[in-house]
Amino acid sequence: MLTFIARRLAAGVFLLFVISLLAYLLLSIPDLDVARQLLGSGAGQAEVAAKNHELGLDRPVLVQYLDWLAHALRGDFGTSWFSGEDVTQALRNRLPVTASLMVSVTLITAVASFLLGVWAGVRRGAVDRFVQVLGVAGYALPGFLVTLVIVLVFAVQLRWFPAIGYTGLTESASGWLSAVTLPVLSLSIGSIAGVSQQVRGSVIEVLRQDYVRTLRARGLSPARIVFRHVLRNASAPALAVLGMQFVGLLGGAVLVEQIFGLPGIGSMTVSYTTRGDIPVIMALVVFTVIGVVLINLVVDILIGWLNPKARTS
Amino acid sequence: MQRSARTTLVAAALTAAFALSGCADTGGGSGGSDDTLDIATLTKPQSLDPKVANGSALPFFQAVYDTLVKREPDGTYSPMLATEWSFDEAGTELTLTLRTGVKFQDGTAFDAEAVKANLERFKKGGGADATDLAAVTSIEVVDAAHVKLVLAQPDPGLLFYLSDSAGLMASPAAFAKEEELKTKPVGTGPYRLDAAKTVVGTKWVYTRSPDYWGEKPPYGTVTMSVFDNETAIVNGLKTDQIDTALLQDVGQQVSMKSDPNVTTTDVNFDFQGILLFDRGGKVTPALGDARVRQALNHAVDRETMLSALRQGRGEVTAQVFGPETAAYDPALDTAYPHDPEKAKALLKEAGYEKGFKLHLPRVTAIVNDALASSLKSDFEKVGVELVWDAPDAAVLQKVFVNKEYSGMVMNMGLDTVDGIVLRTLVLPGTFNMFGTTDDTVQKLVGSIQAKPDAAEADLKALNEHLVEQGWYLPFYRMSYLLVSDKDVKATPQSGMAVPSIYNYSPA
Repeated sequence: MLTFIARRLAAGVFLLFVISLLAYLLLSIPDLDVARQLLGSGAGQAEVAAKNHELGLDRPVLVQYLDWLAHALRGDFGTSWFSGEDVTQALRNRLPVTASLMVSVTLITAVASFLLGVWAGVRRGAVDRFVQVLGVAGYALPGFLVTLVIVLVFAVQLRWFPAIGYTGLTESASGWLSAVTLPVLSLSIGSIAGVSQQVRGSVIEVLRQDYVRTLRARGLSPARIVFRHVLRNASAPALAVLGMQFVGLLGGAVLVEQIFGLPGIGSMTVSYTTRGDIPVIMALVVFTVIGVVLINLVVDILIGWLNPKARTS
Repeated sequence: MQRSARTTLVAAALTAAFALSGCADTGGGSGGSDDTLDIATLTKPQSLDPKVANGSALPFFQAVYDTLVKREPDGTYSPMLATEWSFDEAGTELTLTLRTGVKFQDGTAFDAEAVKANLERFKKGGGADATDLAAVTSIEVVDAAHVKLVLAQPDPGLLFYLSDSAGLMASPAAFAKEEELKTKPVGTGPYRLDAAKTVVGTKWVYTRSPDYWGEKPPYGTVTMSVFDNETAIVNGLKTDQIDTALLQDVGQQVSMKSDPNVTTTDVNFDFQGILLFDRGGKVTPALGDARVRQALNHAVDRETMLSALRQGRGEVTAQVFGPETAAYDPALDTAYPHDPEKAKALLKEAGYEKGFKLHLPRVTAIVNDALASSLKSDFEKVGVELVWDAPDAAVLQKVFVNKEYSGMVMNMGLDTVDGIVLRTLVLPGTFNMFGTTDDTVQKLVGSIQAKPDAAEADLKALNEHLVEQGWYLPFYRMSYLLVSDKDVKATPQSGMAVPSIYNYSPA
């Protein structure tokens, strides 16, 4: 297991390196003319050139990248070209917002999907059809529409939750809970729809296996069969889907953060990318890749723990 | 039996969770408190260094930095850091008497040296402030409380600039560490930035400065939150989490206008139209002929555009001078009625019976699909082919530096000072990059500049001449909607789309 984790981590570091290089190259291709954006349309050619030199943009792209990499390895992500804020500090403020959304959504998705999926897979009949309709509906409804309706109903009309804004978990736990409830609900619907169908499918498949029939024949209680044996085998594919959902959530987070006015990295990514603020974007890329690598690692470890066969592969 | 009991339990737990969080919200809502003013906006400051202050981001700076001159909501000037000011006879020297005993938030004294340091920094900074202060050749310290600005030629816009971004005074001690000034502003203003509560890019929090020299600011805390879309702002206004905001989107304006819980005021600050830069016909030869520019003006159906694209929220116009200027003439708003036949006749007279091709860059933030197709079809009806070039990141460079385009659709603030309109739109410069002019323009501008205090007739004549010559193709002045909560009074500000920070008070 340890070598497995070590191998995965090494692959992750390699991935991080490759993606950061690619991202830097991609960011350098469009001529975003950062210096002119900073100086305004009235600035002369000489001022623009001086600014480019000050920002180091007059060097070859690879040199720029290596310079960035050398600083980043020491934990120095620099300052934003536009706002002058310290990038590390900015991420420290914003990452918890998005992270708390994504972790909450993933946990809720995991619990709800397993409950619904097992319920549908074991009971079948009307219950199964109900869960399936729920799944299709949740999957088919566009995320932004669901979010807008949720805001209108629960925030604007009923006033149960705030329509906008964020309160840190360390500031006030109840404030945090009320601030993230609607965003989490909005993001959860689609992912529960996807993962619960996966769980249902796997449960049904495993229930058909010979060893389940054997267990039944031995007189084990249905609950014990489902929770000790079926779930263990049905979980692996569901966990893999859950891991992918987590990564996909970043895209949904952009939308949800905009609608709820949350100061997370989703909305940050959009506004800084369009301006070409390379120090900020590169830091976002790095932390996103780290997040994705870690989540995949956790999923792999869980799958390995549930199913010994997976550890060797 | 067992199953239904479990279901009930789950339902009960869910209800409890909802009720709990619901309660927590009513207790902790931030917008309800009377001592806090929550402003929402779509415009964020690049940083808090006054060097980059401009337009709708100005309130972010006004909270921390005072300006030399204060511009009242109606556009008149009143004392702020300067208590008195006077021009000499020739209008080339402005002497300012400064308020004494004022200290910056870092303890540095505000005096003539500080004014000099700030203005010189703006001039060297190369941004919009440098352009605004272009006429100022030197800044002389007379004594600690008096400073003299020497101008190359009279500048009717100078007091306006000193009441705007070029008048923002920061502590000279902070100039040594420019990077810090971007996030740690040091001024003499009514509020201080609460850096701990501020999330740069999203929410700026200001608290009342305990030792402000002026009248005690009405709010203990002011927050300015930046959103990417007005849906969130409207939701915040409806749920009392936001006290006030300026709405630009027509749909959102209409939805708030019918809300009985808010006060709304129309603000006509920006006009939208095509600036036809190429009056000399350098890029598009046809545009060198006034009849062609007139034809384009007649080709556009302003009334239909206003009702279809902006639900009638605005006023059609054919002039670039706004209602607050002396040059403004209401009759010129309708100088070019929609008349495709007349447009075709004018094109024929000019020898462009078969039409011509006009390339314009399309900045999608300004030219949405509806506007793009509306203009294209209006021009098509008179035989002119409008080609929208997809913009790239270097569009500003192409338009303003390389001079590759004959015109551009722009949203421009309506300046309130005639002299500023002259400088920005008429005289050679940023928005007249080809530097075109004619005898009438030169004669009128000359006599306006010679006697700026008695120039109304010349200004009106100049405006009429520019409209008649089709220098521009304005569509309409767009109405924005200033919305505020019932317990906040917000007053629109002359010369700005959004209110100044001083224009809010408890209702």
